[in-house]
Amino acid sequence: MGENVMTDKMPTIVVVDDSATSISLYQFSVEPLAVNFVGFKSSAEALPYLQEHRPDLLFLDIIMPGMDGLSLLRHLRSFANQKDTPVIMVTSKDYDQDRYVAKQLGAVEFLIKPLRFKEIRELVFRHVEVKFKQSN
Amino acid sequence: MNATALNYIRFWGVRGSYPAPFGSHLRVGGNTSCIELRVDDHVLVCDGGSGIIPLGNYLMTLKDIKELTIILTHYHWDHISGLPFFVPAFVPGWKVNIYGPGNSQQEIERRISGQMVDPYFPVEVETWLADIHYLTADNSQLEYGPFKMETFNVHHPGSTFGYRIKVHDKTIVYASDNELKFIEKAIADRSDELDPRELQLIKAMQAEEWDKSIDSIKNAHVFIHDAQYTPEDYAKKRGWGHSCYIDTANFAMDANVKQLYLFHVDPNYNDTKIEELHRSTVKLIHERQSQMECHIAREGLIIDIDKL
Repeated sequence: MGENVMTDKMPTIVVVDDSATSISLYQFSVEPLAVNFVGFKSSAEALPYLQEHRPDLLFLDIIMPGMDGLSLLRHLRSFANQKDTPVIMVTSKDYDQDRYVAKQLGAVEFLIKPLRFKEIRELVFRHVEVKFKQSN
Repeated sequence: MNATALNYIRFWGVRGSYPAPFGSHLRVGGNTSCIELRVDDHVLVCDGGSGIIPLGNYLMTLKDIKELTIILTHYHWDHISGLPFFVPAFVPGWKVNIYGPGNSQQEIERRISGQMVDPYFPVEVETWLADIHYLTADNSQLEYGPFKMETFNVHHPGSTFGYRIKVHDKTIVYASDNELKFIEKAIADRSDELDPRELQLIKAMQAEEWDKSIDSIKNAHVFIHDAQYTPEDYAKKRGWGHSCYIDTANFAMDANVKQLYLFHVDPNYNDTKIEELHRSTVKLIHERQSQMECHIAREGLIIDIDKL
């Protein structure tokens, strides 16, 4: 994972989710939008990228092998470049304790899987200045 | 190492949520989560609920053992409340290694020591005079003596681990708190809204998640898992982070588990009720024509690891 064509000036959307299908779901959702899309299947895969790059919007799953999404977010907030990155938790863990921790760590939304394509797009529009791709 | 010594798993605490030291509960037991694994004179302790108190008292009677490792699933009280009364931690000459969810040794220490502060407890962790070591895992894996452990994240409020433990040629999986079937129910709740392409992708995601959860426990010789609720109580307490015993049994059979131990049982359930749940589980196993054995995790129960 982590592959995609990066185009300068377009906002970058990053997803960290251990499900390849789930990453595809995000990718299909943002496909009509003029964004760079980067997906990672684990916190370990995402960390080197996130040390170097600040995405315009970061979607994090919670239950993943190795470092879970909340632990990743806690770790990211210690990076100078990630202190205010907009982060949306999207998880099957619908627990108040996780919502509370995510909020304490500055997550802007906490949503329960599954999300629809249009819901993902709406989230992107809500948090990022983005346009649809030009048809020609 | 004594070649004839018994290598075993012993249940010291089996209850979920809070201790239940009631006369009606004593055949199963009232202490909260704690399991001892003793192999080749190494002691590995899963969780530090109130069951770790009698374990600590027992260890103090032994001459040959002065070191142990405690692995914690998470930091809810029923998994750490025995630690302030765990005698070996207070005694010089003992070495106690501790591991649990957290990004660093300092974070693990902070989470454990948080329950031993004024005004909630009269002494702080500084009074633990044993050699205390907080451990870190290497890519979710850690080793202690003959034990090789791998953590996996489970469905329960806050960061919570299950442990897949390999020792000698046996696999023991411990997942005390884990709500199964959560994603399935969330998808079912929205299935009418999804268009065919979304439904196809989401079903594929569900299958992927299921395969991964099965992988964590696949072919375990012993599977110790959350079986807190009846279906009726689970319907009222969905989203509390615990499983219905029927989901637990089906999950274990799907993963080709050899022996299932119904664990972290609800403190409101007396012995008779838990024995009914067990009978119901055995019936389910029979109906599915599975070879899996199922037992109630009872306080004091010992499993001979070499006979698995």
